[in-house]
Amino acid sequence: MALLQIAEPGQSAKPHQRKLAVGIDLGTTHSLVASVRSGQAETLANSRGEHLLPSVVRYLADELPQVGIKAQAHLVDDAANTVMSVKRLMGRGIDDVKRLGESMPYLFEACDQGMPLINTVSGLKSPVQVSADILRALVQRGESSLGGELVGAVITVPAYFDDAQRQATKDAAQLAGIQVLRLLNEPTAAAVAYGLEQDQQEQGTIAVFDLGGGTFDISILRMEQGVFEVLATGGDSALGGDDFDHALAEWMRQERQIPAQLGLAEQRFLLRLARAGKELLSDVCSTELSFNDWPGDATYADLELTRERMNLLLDPIIDKAVRATKRTLRDAKVALGDIARIVMVGGSTRSLRVQERVADLFQQPLLTDIDPDRVVALGAARQADVLAGNQSGEELLLLDVLPLSLGLETMGGLVERVIDRNTPIPVARAQEFTTYQDGQTAMAIHVLQGERELVQDCRSLSRFDLRGIPAMAAGAAKIRVTFQVDADGLLEVSARELTSGVAASVQVKPSYGLSDVQIADMIKASWTNVEDDRSARSLREQQVEADRLGEAITMALAEDGARLLTSQQQQVIENQMQQLVVARNGHDHHAIAKQIEEMAKASDAFAAMRMDDSIKLALAGKSVDQL
Amino acid sequence: MDISQDYFSCYGLSCDFAVDPVALRQSHRQLQQQHHPDRFVSKSDSDQRRAVQITAYLNQAYATLSEPLKRGIYLLQLQGMDPLAPTNTQMPMDFLLQQIELRESLEEMSQVQNPETQMDSMSSRLQHQASQLESEFAQAYGLSNFEIAETSVRKLQFIVKLQQQLDALEGALLD
Repeated sequence: MALLQIAEPGQSAKPHQRKLAVGIDLGTTHSLVASVRSGQAETLANSRGEHLLPSVVRYLADELPQVGIKAQAHLVDDAANTVMSVKRLMGRGIDDVKRLGESMPYLFEACDQGMPLINTVSGLKSPVQVSADILRALVQRGESSLGGELVGAVITVPAYFDDAQRQATKDAAQLAGIQVLRLLNEPTAAAVAYGLEQDQQEQGTIAVFDLGGGTFDISILRMEQGVFEVLATGGDSALGGDDFDHALAEWMRQERQIPAQLGLAEQRFLLRLARAGKELLSDVCSTELSFNDWPGDATYADLELTRERMNLLLDPIIDKAVRATKRTLRDAKVALGDIARIVMVGGSTRSLRVQERVADLFQQPLLTDIDPDRVVALGAARQADVLAGNQSGEELLLLDVLPLSLGLETMGGLVERVIDRNTPIPVARAQEFTTYQDGQTAMAIHVLQGERELVQDCRSLSRFDLRGIPAMAAGAAKIRVTFQVDADGLLEVSARELTSGVAASVQVKPSYGLSDVQIADMIKASWTNVEDDRSARSLREQQVEADRLGEAITMALAEDGARLLTSQQQQVIENQMQQLVVARNGHDHHAIAKQIEEMAKASDAFAAMRMDDSIKLALAGKSVDQL
Repeated sequence: MDISQDYFSCYGLSCDFAVDPVALRQSHRQLQQQHHPDRFVSKSDSDQRRAVQITAYLNQAYATLSEPLKRGIYLLQLQGMDPLAPTNTQMPMDFLLQQIELRESLEEMSQVQNPETQMDSMSSRLQHQASQLESEFAQAYGLSNFEIAETSVRKLQFIVKLQQQLDALEGALLD
């Protein structure tokens, strides 16, 4: 509507005021918050100048939880109440967690929703609550550094995160009271951090090579005129820098003929020695590994580790990453030689051998100028700045893909794909099914995510029954199941039963570990309440619309009413406004819709006058953009 | 943005098999810039939902028009035909025999001496066939000869499937 556009300069009373928004990298070991200030993305520090916030939360009996370095100090002496690496638990059920298992010293309890709860002195805590506590600390830091309330945040997630993990992350943000502007894939964020799109000449294909402690992610993006388009993502969720340490430790053990059955302290010693050696070899070509402080009874001689030896040990692990990279290039239908830029992310890309091998693979230099620990948060900050509306003109746009295929269970425990992985999102696909028995009135729907053929090998996202199908002959009913994935990569499934004029639909937000019974109840409730829900939603939508129109017209009247309208004309609009307000405060969405229409009619002429007026102004030497 | 219109109209193209891929990509990008949910973050819920629907529609439209096989099938569907109907199984015998032969050599591929050269030559053979079928389709469709066009597109589907299997095999052998 013309009126709205003219009446709302930048939608705010102070059009040039910057909206405060941050990018958050919610990491497994540490987290970061960043923001764009005077055109530059920077990570925000706490009062002691520390940027990295350890992703550790310690719960206390009668106090607020400690987050970060304070909490980290108690990992050993208060292990049961100090939670680390909670990212690995996000969106997981109690059974998954038991499999992750022994390395976590917490008392887990299953709640009635099948979610793992951690038993602390301050009560049972879900992974979502723990993440929310970390997010709260980051937002507080953001608000005190930037000096104001945040309009929202872009939160990054690993590209391989499935729907349940994404949903859990978004829930954590909601719990922490943060408006999520977008969930952004980490590699996409990293590509954006370099600001490559700001150079008009720059376009081409980018590879983001992300090697963390325990995971490897590779994404191929195309950049053209400010648009970053993910072509394919891939990787290996069980490959990372920790494998380097284990390979080095195993080599040491064999060299010194240390028995394979080791206690925890001895294992830790070897790993610590491996890490220290690895880091030293970044600067020197050879180092002596000392077993002086060996925690066991035996004594072992020092051991020389050369860079050549280390490279031999690391290469088989790096080979796996190289293979995954080639596979992803094939998925993206891109040749090695087409890659114009390579962005390095993750602490393990500091390894010289990794850098050598990747540069060798692509036959060109790597982008490593931005700290690989901070690059993701910096990219998220740039995206947050755009989404908050602080930039104008040809804007940065990020187009992501679905990381894992979505499907439905069919007869025999098989998965039928509905949407393939690497499909650009948002996406919507529908599949039609029919009944297979005479008089069948219900159908079970099981939504899965993953690349495998069998139901048992994929991740179960949700199950629900479609009830209320009119009884008819087998094969006569038509049931359409629609999958819709939004820009955050979150799925909404609706099942719609199309028969002779009878149609109804339910919406299921997939949930992490909600029990089948609960989901069934939820569905049943929404199935019977579908009419109520619909009219309640329409009512809310119409009320919002009425408010927006009302505000716009009030503002327009205040600015230009007296100047452009006769008092009689003003009176007509004001009368109509009163009727709109009366309808808006009622409960009939049809009535509100009608008054919105009337209001639009009554103010049309005024809108046209304002338009003419602004054109005159434009002719007076101002561009329309400036109005 | 009207998401009930056909895919060609939303990019301002005429319903035709010939599509300029560069121009298509550019209009797709422009429409995304305009309609992507990222542009509606501060707008109402219904505006945001609408943006998701429009972008999903655009993504589907682009995926359909940018691939010759999907584009061909879609053009026939616009004519009320269903080239993929399971009842639609009639194929010329010589084509089927040729397919069986190709499929056999694909199966033997993993045991041969020099799989890469073999795969390359098969791939270029398939590509040649595909482009022939595409021009066959374009001509028949242009003359409103939809029966012939349907046969070409169904042949093309065989070829595309074979190419996908070849790609998968190549991936498995190179890994």
